[in-house]
Formats: sequence, structure tokens, C-alpha cells
Amino acid sequence: MNYFFESLWAIFAKDIVTELRSKQVLPTMIVLGMLIVWVMRIVSEAASLSTMMMGPAVLWIAFLFSGLLAQERSFSTEEQEDCISGLLLAPVDPGTIYIAKLLVNIVMLCVFEAVVVPMVFLTFELSIGGKWFEFMGVLLLGNIGISSIGTLFSAMIQLSRVRGALLSILVLVVLMPMMIPAIFALLFLFGVIPEEVAGTGFLALAGSLKTSVGYLVAFDVVFTVACWLLFGFVVQE
Amino acid sequence: MVKKSQNNRIDESIIDVISVSKSFGTRPVLNGVNLKVGRAQGVCICGVNGAGKSTLLRIISGLLEPSQGSVKLCGLEVGSEPEKTKSQLGVISHKSMLYPDLSLSENLLFFAGLYSVKESRKRVKELLEELGLASYRYDRTGILSRGMLQRLAIARAVIHRPAVLLADEPFTGLDTEACQHLISVLGKFRADGGTLVMTSHDTRLGLQCCDRVMVLDKAQIVFEAMTSEIDTDLFVQDYLAYAGNRD
Repeated sequence: MNYFFESLWAIFAKDIVTELRSKQVLPTMIVLGMLIVWVMRIVSEAASLSTMMMGPAVLWIAFLFSGLLAQERSFSTEEQEDCISGLLLAPVDPGTIYIAKLLVNIVMLCVFEAVVVPMVFLTFELSIGGKWFEFMGVLLLGNIGISSIGTLFSAMIQLSRVRGALLSILVLVVLMPMMIPAIFALLFLFGVIPEEVAGTGFLALAGSLKTSVGYLVAFDVVFTVACWLLFGFVVQE
Repeated sequence: MVKKSQNNRIDESIIDVISVSKSFGTRPVLNGVNLKVGRAQGVCICGVNGAGKSTLLRIISGLLEPSQGSVKLCGLEVGSEPEKTKSQLGVISHKSMLYPDLSLSENLLFFAGLYSVKESRKRVKELLEELGLASYRYDRTGILSRGMLQRLAIARAVIHRPAVLLADEPFTGLDTEACQHLISVLGKFRADGGTLVMTSHDTRLGLQCCDRVMVLDKAQIVFEAMTSEIDTDLFVQDYLAYAGNRD
């Protein structure tokens, strides 16, 4: 157990230090996030759409697409100089490598959110009331979901030498079931739609804040465990 | 070029490759390869491009699973006890497996952490001094020349004092001076009781590091001898003519 934490910390710290030195991902993520926020603000202004309605959607769009950048990077650094072989030759369980990479991607998204969330609040004039704790909880659950899928697919794509838009396509398709409760959780939190909606279609599916958060937790647990178990097969030639 | 030496009797085998076959799709790369390597022995595997040299090393290291057969390292099955066998193994190839954005010390400390090396800082300092890289310890690895990078790769591979070192084309891209330095480092590793298995296109350099040579061709070992049994110059000449015809 001690060795698990030692190797986990070693890989995590190595990736964070590498990013702090190279500054390849975070600046790009933040610029992309700002661009998405501003474009969506202009669209909502031009189309006279409710900023309260648009705000939560913009948050997830920014997280999703900027998150893809971080995830794409997580294994491209390992591919340079065949570093992934160095990792796999060490007596480290592949699952430990996955968890370390997942934590790095979650941290990157959290740092990104610390910059972009205040921007979205200001640009879209959002107000959360006193529900900051719940708000951050929903964002964290979303981060875990986006990162767990993105980390596995990034490994699959980078190590199988298939490039291009495949990561975005695969990740976005698999994340669709998670994005629905994620968006509704924020809409409930911002008070855009009242809780305990007995509607039809997507609204009936979302139900309430509690139900949406429940879906998010279930998605995170199922997909994180599944990706952790599958990771060994992905990196094995 | 078919010769199998009878004098390479191994008392204690460190690497035991038993009837290993490997195919990629329908193309066989290795076909029933057997190989025993004893403690502190140095084996140079020669062969033309695509002969299966790197595949054999990747199978021994556990990075690749054989289609058939098995590999034992220090008496342990590679596939079934990966953690134990990996800690007995160091690997160098023409790629350094090092992170260009980390310093030399950071790279070595990272790998020392993965292998749970005791007194890792002391070990890193010792290795950097031994390989003549101590004055660069805080520099980024990305600025190193090819020769220095290869020396650092050796430090990475032996940081946990492995019993076996696998070297896949370690001389690629090195100048004469760097090659001689590498030969002396590999020689020291063997003198300290380490077992070396390497592949090399440069047969002459390969033979300087090893006491046994084998040629892999058409997915099989077609020649095997102790270097003490053969005329090295004649072997290199014969091999080059053979490889030329094969290419």
C-alpha cells in the first residue's frame, strides 16, 4: 500500500512539475476557455437569450473542450522519448499510472475552473446565492467524470498512434450521458428551473438536484473503476 | 551461416527463453526461439532489420507478450510475476525514456522512486559522478547531447542495481568517443556481476561488450558462438556479407 502511494505521488509530482516547466497546457486551456465564454456571451446578447440559462451550459462547454486539451497532453509527454516504456518497465501497477494521470487531469481542470468560473459569473451576471459548496461539489463531480473517460481514451489514442480528432469524438460521445445531469444540476442550483420538476423528456430524467447529483456520482464511480481496470489492457502491447 | 556452439554451457541461467514464438498478424517474427543466458554473461544479438531482435528484447522485458512459449528471469516467470521480474531488469534503447523538461537529478530521482531505491539521493549523486554528468545535474535533460543522453539513460536503467541489462541498439547515433565510453560502462556493469543482452547493427562494437554472439534471421537463431571461439574480424566480415545478401 505504501508503495502504491509512493509511485502515485512520484508520477503525479513529475507530471505537475513538467507542466509548470513547459507551460504547454494551462495557458492554452485558459485562452480557449475565455474564447468560448466571450463567443457565447456575444451569441446570447445577439439572440436575446437568458444569461442565467446560458451560463451553466457555457461552463460545461468550456470545461469539456479545455479538458480535452489537458487529457490529450497527459500521454503525449510519455510518448516523447518512449517514456511510457520507462514507466511500464518499472514495477508499477498500470492502475497506479492511470490514477496518477487522472489526478493530474482533475487538478488541471480545477486550476482552469478557478480562472474561468469567476469570468463566467461576471460575463453572464450569474448569482449562486449561498450554494457555493453545492456548486463546487457539482463541478468536482463533473471534473472527475470528464477526466476519468478522457484519461483512458487519451492513453488509447496516443499509444495506438491514432491521431487527430478521434479523442474528441470518442470522449464526447461517451460523456453524453454524464453531461445531461451535469447541466441540470447547475440549472437547479442557479434556480433557472425549479426543483422537483415533474416534466417530461429530459426534465423528467433530471428530476431534482439530488437526482442529478446521484447520476453524476454513479457515472463517476462506474466509469472511474471501469477505466482503471481497463487501463492495463490499453497500455499492454 | 549455420553454427551452434556446444561450449556455451550455462551453469546458472539468469534469462531463460523457452520456445518463444511471436507473430504480428499472420507474419511470424520469432519462431520457437530458445535462449539461456548465465550470470555476468554478455550476449550480442545480431540480425538484419526486421529479424526480430527488438521483439525478442521486448518479450524478455515483459513489454510484449509472446504468442507461444515463456520467459524466465532469475527463475521467475515474466508474465506471471511482473513486479518481481521488473525490479531485476534495466532497459536501454535508442530512445532515452527520459523527460526533457526535468533536470538530470529529477529524472533519476523519479525512476529511483518508482523502483523504491533506498538512499536515492546518494545513489543518484554516485551515478552522475560515475558517468561524468555531475556538473549537469541541475540542467534540463532536453539540452543534453545524444552521447550524454545515452549515459543518463544508462544511469536510469541501472539505478535500482538490476541483475540484467537489456540494450536495444544502444550505439545508434553515438560518435566514436561516446561509443567507447558506453562500451566501458557496459563492461563495468558486467564486471560487477550484471548480465547483458544487447542488439546491435554495429557487430564490431557489439562484440566488444559481449562474450557470446548470435545471429537472428528468418525468425530463428541461425548462428551462435562464444566470441573466444571465433575470429572476430572474420565473423564481422562474414556477417556483413551475409546481412548484405539478406537485405
